[in-house]
Amino acid sequence: MPRPLIAFACTILLAGCPRQALFVVLPNEEGGAGAITVDDGKTVTTLDQPYAAAESRAGSSGPVEESRGNIGVIFHRAIAAQPLLPRHFRLYFILGSNELTPESVIAYRGVFDDIKKRPVYEIAVIGHTDTLGDLRTNQALSLARSAAIRDRLVRDGIASGAISIAGRGKRDLIVSTADQIAEPLNRCVVITVR
Amino acid sequence: MALILWLAALLLVATPSAPGAAGAAPIAQVKTVMGKVVIQRSGQRLPANIGDPLFEKDVIETGPDGGIGITFIDNTVFSTGPNSQLALDEFQFDSNNFRGSLLADMRQGSLAVVAGDITRSSPGAMKIKTPTAVLGVRGTTFAVQVYGDH
Repeated sequence: MPRPLIAFACTILLAGCPRQALFVVLPNEEGGAGAITVDDGKTVTTLDQPYAAAESRAGSSGPVEESRGNIGVIFHRAIAAQPLLPRHFRLYFILGSNELTPESVIAYRGVFDDIKKRPVYEIAVIGHTDTLGDLRTNQALSLARSAAIRDRLVRDGIASGAISIAGRGKRDLIVSTADQIAEPLNRCVVITVR
Repeated sequence: MALILWLAALLLVATPSAPGAAGAAPIAQVKTVMGKVVIQRSGQRLPANIGDPLFEKDVIETGPDGGIGITFIDNTVFSTGPNSQLALDEFQFDSNNFRGSLLADMRQGSLAVVAGDITRSSPGAMKIKTPTAVLGVRGTTFAVQVYGDH
């Protein structure tokens, strides 16, 4: 059968054409799921439930049912290659000081347990503030806090080359509040080990 | 003096160039490697090793027994199975404001993704191109299989 005819037959009987691609939403760590959109240039399929799937056949994409068992088989090797996911450690300071709260001292030690599980690691230190004061002051403060934690990690034996720091100021609140609110839970540094 | 300058110039030429474009910062790090995995970079084919930095425009290729796991600087995690080809076409990320974009070209094989911070501040910041469709990502865990040769 000439090629155009095959293509024509495929568009009529999509299921008879070989599958070209499969797209699947997987449950995230918390058990929920976000969403992906699959755009083949003509139609957009939105997948927003765990194990929701779409496929492409003959260049067209649309939703498809795929069993969890099959999904597990198809992606077995890709999932087996998945590294340990990044882990976050939140550190809080005793008000008006650079001293960590007792709970945060335990969280800080957790960083050192976590890196032992990884064949290779990087550490990102990100500072946050509450909403007292202006943007610029808080940006500087959040960066100073993350720099202080970096120095402590280095003193405790982490290679400085493995650490990056950033400050989110008051633009990314841990606990959402109105502006100009003192909130100890927002004076925070998050260490991410990846 | 001229000799010293000449020697210095020679040394500059002879020093192997840094990976990626001059001065480019790594966008991800190789965390797991199984079987044969090659990174194509500026026309070179380099074997992938745990701990290697990855750069924008790198192309990852896994062999019939291969697999690789990488983590981007925004905490997005990619892992591919065997017989896969994945191009890291575009990646920009600012860790201070979480703005950026990630565009990957999944040409063949299987890919599992856990989306990171890049999808938090700008919806549409992460896109995965495949031969038949483009995936838009709104912060989630998902997988893509592209069948056959393309």
